[in-house]
Amino acid sequence: MSLFGTNSSFGTGGTGVFGSTTTDSHNPMKDVEVTSPPDDSISCLAFSPPTMPGNFLIAGSWANDVRCWEVQDNGQTVPKAQQMHTGPVLDVCWSDDGSKVFTASCDKTAKMWDLNSNQAMQIAQHDGPIKAIHWIKAPNYSCVMTGSWDKTLKFWDTRSPNPMMSLQMPERCYCADVVYPMAVVATAERGLIVYQLETQPSEFRRIDSPLKHQHRCVAIFKDKQNKPTGFALGSIEGRVAIHYINPPNPAKDNFTFKCHRSNGTNTTTPQDIYAVNAISFHPVHGTLATVGSDGRFSFWDKDARTKLKTSEQLDQPITACCFNHNGNIFAYASSYDWSKGHEYYNPQKKNYIFLRNAAEELKPRNKK
Amino acid sequence: MGRKKKKQMKPWCWYCNRDFDDEKILIQHQKAKHFKCHICHKKLYTGPGLAIHCMQVHKETIDSVPNAIPGRTDIELEIYGMEGIPEKDMQERRRTLEQKSQESQKKKSNNQDDSDDDDDDDEAGPSTQQVAAIQPQAGYVTPMTQPGMPPVAGAPGMPPAGYQGMPPMMPGVPPMMHGMPPAMPGMPPAMMPIGGMMPPMMPGMPGIPPGMPPHMAPRPGMPHIAPAPAAGPIPSRPAVPAAQPAVTKPLFPSAAQMGSGVHSNTTGVSSPPADLQSASSQTPFSNMPQAQQNASGATASSSLSTAASSDPPKATFPAYTQPSVSSSSSSSNPSSSTVAKPPATVTSKPATLTTTSATSKLIHPDEDISLEEMKAQLPRYQRLIPRPGQAHAAAPPVAAVGSIIPPQQGLPPQQPGMRHPLHGQYGAPPQGMPGYMPGGMPPYGQGPPMVPPYQGGPPLGMRPPVMSPAGRY
Repeated sequence: MSLFGTNSSFGTGGTGVFGSTTTDSHNPMKDVEVTSPPDDSISCLAFSPPTMPGNFLIAGSWANDVRCWEVQDNGQTVPKAQQMHTGPVLDVCWSDDGSKVFTASCDKTAKMWDLNSNQAMQIAQHDGPIKAIHWIKAPNYSCVMTGSWDKTLKFWDTRSPNPMMSLQMPERCYCADVVYPMAVVATAERGLIVYQLETQPSEFRRIDSPLKHQHRCVAIFKDKQNKPTGFALGSIEGRVAIHYINPPNPAKDNFTFKCHRSNGTNTTTPQDIYAVNAISFHPVHGTLATVGSDGRFSFWDKDARTKLKTSEQLDQPITACCFNHNGNIFAYASSYDWSKGHEYYNPQKKNYIFLRNAAEELKPRNKK
Repeated sequence: MGRKKKKQMKPWCWYCNRDFDDEKILIQHQKAKHFKCHICHKKLYTGPGLAIHCMQVHKETIDSVPNAIPGRTDIELEIYGMEGIPEKDMQERRRTLEQKSQESQKKKSNNQDDSDDDDDDDEAGPSTQQVAAIQPQAGYVTPMTQPGMPPVAGAPGMPPAGYQGMPPMMPGVPPMMHGMPPAMPGMPPAMMPIGGMMPPMMPGMPGIPPGMPPHMAPRPGMPHIAPAPAAGPIPSRPAVPAAQPAVTKPLFPSAAQMGSGVHSNTTGVSSPPADLQSASSQTPFSNMPQAQQNASGATASSSLSTAASSDPPKATFPAYTQPSVSSSSSSSNPSSSTVAKPPATVTSKPATLTTTSATSKLIHPDEDISLEEMKAQLPRYQRLIPRPGQAHAAAPPVAAVGSIIPPQQGLPPQQPGMRHPLHGQYGAPPQGMPGYMPGGMPPYGQGPPMVPPYQGGPPLGMRPPVMSPAGRY
């Protein structure tokens, strides 16, 4: 990814970058704004897989729509297509070949969107909103995994209206991640279940949560051999737990770190603790990014256990984030996540998606 | 002695070449002379720890270790007590020591009658004396080091339990080593091994030095408590050992032994299993205070001192939040009633605090459901699958919301008013985008039957499950 820097590809034009009257903190990091962002909070972002040439970004929002942009090398974003659900879209994912996008919505359905034909058809049905959707590509099968607030995890062959498999969970699914052959689901009431996907999905282990607060986001990381080896779990209490599935030394290898809090060293005023809304791992470096309700994103190196960078504060929470397939682009969405309740919701406030050049900032810290 | 001894001499400080009787004293010396911050006088545990502290807290860089002799001022070398000393410096020291002792022995023997015989004996003398002196330690080292990891490893959850279950477990019960200090008060002879134990254990980790440096942040947290109890007479610090094993554990990450050792620990002590993630709810928590100290890069140094004091109480209040540990040393946990705590600021704000501490505030609404669930309860998002017989999907749920969700009192009255502007808002966006909406997908499933192919009867009749979580409260 070459230039992403300061070219004026701010699609919406003149929104506070070039000397607007108000000190607009909607984009303090001066990152590239994606054109035609959704009109309601953005719930999820996903970049196209490496099997497709170019970079395509998908965003699902509470405006019931799923939008697709092409992100060009010069930083320009070109809206390409859009699909609708009948309820807010909570999660999106790509198929491994990049031809289909799967979308999950509060309307209790999940759809498969064929980008070539621009047709979407329903492939899944739950009894409650579907919060997480992932594509699983195993050597002997492929399917879509959907986790819902109806406490079930279902696996769908997109050709059949009935699920291939349905697994009962102890609680509502709040977030999930899949890196074959491992899947992790975090549920309400701090539930945490790891599934193994070889041959067929089955529950592998239920883990006592390393966190003391509601789970909010989870992301699997891989080891040096590119095999999934653990996950990062974020909670509403400004904390992320790094947890290995089978570490040599659990007490030493697993740890938690605090993030997305105000008043670092100042102890006179109460510290504000924000939820971690999303976690993404850099596909190449293995470092991670977290975004929170405080309107900041941070980059971390979990092996050196250090923070690499924290951004300036945006005026809205950051609700979603994603890296592109080669880790050159970091996308993050700025919209209201309800963390301050109903009163602070302003439907008139614009929602943004920003793109940042991530090639340099996420390099791991050299260990001494 | 089944293993090569790394330390065959008295503890000495790499930074200033001074000798000490005991490694504990050596460590105290290092902390006070070499690892003390010149700005705030905080004592760190290692050179890199001091560097990081100065950088993060005072925004100052430090490039040499204070009070160190020239050539030994490297701030990046992680030396702790006798651990981390580069091998060649160790050898140099040994050689110097031998030379010195040889000289002094020769001088002594010159004063004696038989010179030749004594030379041989005397050269062997110091070493045998040293060896003899070390023997008792070595005797404990052996049983210690193999299973040595285990007690350390399983320590975090164990210390409080270690107190109770530690009857006579002297040399014969190596895994119990760390549990011993608390039981020690009544066993003076046992004191020595404990005292002797700590030092051999430290350098006994051949695999550690490479592994340690990356874990700079954990380091300061760990050794903090370890030397403290070791330094003082153990019976006089009964409280500290509780935290001590918890802290020293991470210093010894020898994997295989940890697993086996911890299991053996569980026999004598009601301690959590090695897999800290399982079963006991206390386990992950007791790991957390350290882990939290370890990993929080930004607050490493500030959280250290508070963590030490608050560790034991932390382990007994697993339900309480972490924030208070780091934000202030006053662990103001007791007020656990979350919902009862009134919002300190805006009274009309239903979004109150879920945290318990007076020094931190969780920016998250009080209800236990997720933010998405809360948002989805809004009537504007309730226009889901149209239910038969309901012209406006939002209407019945609104009433239900009002009754079921007391905290959201603000909602029901607002909802009727809210809907209208929203309609307009929703109407706009799809038209703005270049066309692609597939034929059968009208934007908002209001009246028109847009039953997706797989939809059956029952789901339509069901109230949106988003209501049910609310129903719980």
